[in-house]
Amino acid sequence: MAYDDLRSFLAALDAEGQLLRVSDEVLPEPDLAAAANAAGRIGEGAPALYFDNVKGFTDARIALNVHGSWTNHALALGLPKHTPVKEQVEIFASRWDDFPIAPERREDAPWRENTQAGGDVDLFSVLPLFRLNDGDGGFYLDKAAVVSRDPEAPDDFGKQNVGTYRIQVIGPDRLAFQPVPVHDVALHLHKAEEKGEDLPVAITLGNDPVMAIVSGMPMAYDQSEYEMAGALRGAPAPIATSPLTGFDVPWGSEVVIEGVIESRKRQIEGPFGEFTGHYSGGRRMPVIRVDRLSYRTNPVFESLYLGKPWTEVDYLVGPNTCVPLLKQLRAEFPEVQAVNAMYTHGMLVIISTAKRFGGFAKAVGMRAMTTRHGLGYVSQVIVVDEDVDPFDLPQVMWAMSAKVDPREDVVVVPNLSVVELAPAAQPAGITSKMIIDATTPVAPDVRGNFSTPAKDLPETREWAARLQQLRTAASAR
Amino acid sequence: MTTHAACPRCAFDAVRTLAASPVAGVWLVRQCERCLYTWRTTEPVRRTTREAYPEEFRMTPADIENAIEVPTVPPLRQP
Ligand SMILES: [Zn+2]
Repeated sequence: MAYDDLRSFLAALDAEGQLLRVSDEVLPEPDLAAAANAAGRIGEGAPALYFDNVKGFTDARIALNVHGSWTNHALALGLPKHTPVKEQVEIFASRWDDFPIAPERREDAPWRENTQAGGDVDLFSVLPLFRLNDGDGGFYLDKAAVVSRDPEAPDDFGKQNVGTYRIQVIGPDRLAFQPVPVHDVALHLHKAEEKGEDLPVAITLGNDPVMAIVSGMPMAYDQSEYEMAGALRGAPAPIATSPLTGFDVPWGSEVVIEGVIESRKRQIEGPFGEFTGHYSGGRRMPVIRVDRLSYRTNPVFESLYLGKPWTEVDYLVGPNTCVPLLKQLRAEFPEVQAVNAMYTHGMLVIISTAKRFGGFAKAVGMRAMTTRHGLGYVSQVIVVDEDVDPFDLPQVMWAMSAKVDPREDVVVVPNLSVVELAPAAQPAGITSKMIIDATTPVAPDVRGNFSTPAKDLPETREWAARLQQLRTAASAR
Repeated sequence: MTTHAACPRCAFDAVRTLAASPVAGVWLVRQCERCLYTWRTTEPVRRTTREAYPEEFRMTPADIENAIEVPTVPPLRQP
């Protein structure tokens, strides 16, 4: 089941008991953010939240925590809501193999219903903006899909980028914008600014649930997020042409904001409570002038709370961070079994792999750090054997405790690149990186006494399935 | 309605109104013209008053002036 817009997904969540409507009047601050913060603290299966009675607003509609549990993530991919995480990642990876699926262009985008342009643009009149964390510099758009094109290849569909970046609202028609240098939009901006030109952008809010997943996914520069959305949905992604920039934007968006990043200009932005669980900023960031707003009648404003993990963003980018690393590692090392890159955007990654020869696991760990995503994020890698499930943390801790000789198996490489946001980096953007080789040494690496491991009994797998069935039957009674 | 003479974050006294509540008279969204700190008048006092604003989030003119550029502006390429 592929959802073409946010509204149809919210309806599906509602039908599955995964949408909580809060009808009592709430304050925009601190209630909205605190409720979404709390959703991440109430245990498994947290619902999406929907608010439509917010003090001072007449017709605000706010959706939060839409992807904020494994239950909702499964439903976003059209899977049964109790699909285990490891299986969600495996299905994600197998659908990836269908890439590319060409999008389907439609002309009747519902966001064509209403328009503001030029001097009439007023973001506050359309969006019920609000603050997330105490120390944030202001109100943010933090779940948007930002579309930009390579100024040197404006007609190249693959090089058109769709990405999620943090955006502070600094005026009725002005935004501050954070393009992290490793991200595609920063490459586009660099090319435009070298020529002294503004960079046009289209910012789409309230997108279908798979669009939100692909726009936060680390993909190759010339791969199209829309073609990946098609693969993950199992159906072509519906797109439409935005009226001012002519860019390709999601057909089902609630709001489309168009304008330009003003060339060679920087202005104070932030701080902002980030996915790292720390604030970052204030820094001098690029600025966007908004020239046109298009929006559905009664738009739903979708936002996400982020701060000390786990929050919605961790579910949103968890599997989509694992899968590219899994694919890129397997391309050169087919021995790699599974990759868990779900801790703080893959700053820590756990990889299970078979070993070709002694020292192999450390090579796999080094490769993870030199992938496209690894350059900016991966600073700690734990490598475990092929029979250890990297999503099962007790198994990982067992491997660390039993297999690691710290002097031989912990490798630290100084002064490598990382995103500026990494709190432990010093200076910002530079960090040391560590590999912990928690695999069993194989020849010619002959260290340790690992000759007689205990293994699960041959009948265990069958019994696990039997126990699951008994439990399901019991809970259905 | 309470008026706020100065920015809670940097104490600058030029503050403008970005928005007013659609229900008249409930709140305003205010913004410091120097540090761009933006707040709603109905937020908790720790976000709206200089006295209660947390030390760790305060900003000085030097903080604004010396903040690093991300990303840096590249040199202009000769045509
Ligand atoms: Zn200020």
